[in-house]
Amino acid sequence: MRRLLPLLLLLAAASAWCDGPTVRASHVWIRDAPPGIKVLAAYFTLQNLTDKPLNLVAVSSPDFDAVMLHQSVVKGGVESMLPVDSLIIPADGSVELQPGGYHVMLMQPKRNLFSGDMVTLMLTFSDKSELAILAPVRHDPPEH
Amino acid sequence: MIKECDELPPTLWHNPRMKFRDLLPYMGLLVLALAVGVLAGYLTFNSRRPPPPHTDALLLHAPKALPDFTLTDTMAKTLDKDRLMGRWSLLYFGYTHCPDACPTTLAALDKMQRYLANLPQDKRPQVYFISVDPKRDDPKLLGDYTLYFNSDFVAATGSLENLRALMGPLDLEFSYDKPDAKGDYGVNHSTAVILVDPEAEETALFVPPLDPKRMASDYANILKYYGEQF
Repeated sequence: MRRLLPLLLLLAAASAWCDGPTVRASHVWIRDAPPGIKVLAAYFTLQNLTDKPLNLVAVSSPDFDAVMLHQSVVKGGVESMLPVDSLIIPADGSVELQPGGYHVMLMQPKRNLFSGDMVTLMLTFSDKSELAILAPVRHDPPEH
Repeated sequence: MIKECDELPPTLWHNPRMKFRDLLPYMGLLVLALAVGVLAGYLTFNSRRPPPPHTDALLLHAPKALPDFTLTDTMAKTLDKDRLMGRWSLLYFGYTHCPDACPTTLAALDKMQRYLANLPQDKRPQVYFISVDPKRDDPKLLGDYTLYFNSDFVAATGSLENLRALMGPLDLEFSYDKPDAKGDYGVNHSTAVILVDPEAEETALFVPPLDPKRMASDYANILKYYGEQF
């Protein structure tokens, strides 16, 4: 039995793993900015792999002291940024965060970031699941 | 019989009983018709400017003079109407603590410049990034930020009063959100990029979503429409 324990643990871990990711992230990037700029934006596409709607409820990053979900809204030709409490990803659907729309506002960086650097973003969803994604800092959006 | 044939029936053109005086009304009509024809022809010929180009940019029906204004660029030089004379310009208003709209627009303006690289330098637009957040955007920060996108861009700002003097007549706005606990605040600002002709007149507006390639072709078409040769 004692010999079997690691195997059982492994099986348990595997079955948890088999629950599988509920969300897939793609086209992840952070727009680069000159040194000294304290506010950056991250963009990505989230695909809901389940048949139930999910909400992205929080984003954090070890490289920034403050992270917020935002939406740029143009009304009467004037652009404003509105905080977004949660972002719905429809069942079997996807949502895009892209320039001029939804974005993750990254504030108070703990280090200077340059094109080519990678930043970890932790996404938390309404079902309490979490997803860690790696976001490259770059000048242009990744090709679709 | 023969005699009868000699006496042709009177016509308008040959009527022995008709006097010159009787023809006057007809001649008057003829002269009037001619005059109308000549005038119409002249007007058509004179407005033979080609029809306005089809652009994504909003082309103003007629260029509109910019108001007088005084701002200061990040090299401490004055930016006013005089400085815009003699070259096409693009004006964009934003702020550096702006993570989404401003870098997206400045990156698009940089790409647009690259599409226009085959134009002579003096026909390419000079891009001006004007900060509506003078409190946080000191010359160093504003300059570094703007030149990062393109080293030919010029950045400027001024007092709120001076900013409004330029933006008000162009129907452009800005306002500030309430600062959060850390004193950070968002700035609401017009998204339009204003095309200004070499007489310092507003000519067209580019509004998001901005497609750099399309902006470049719109720009070239607008310049051709206004008779620029290149």
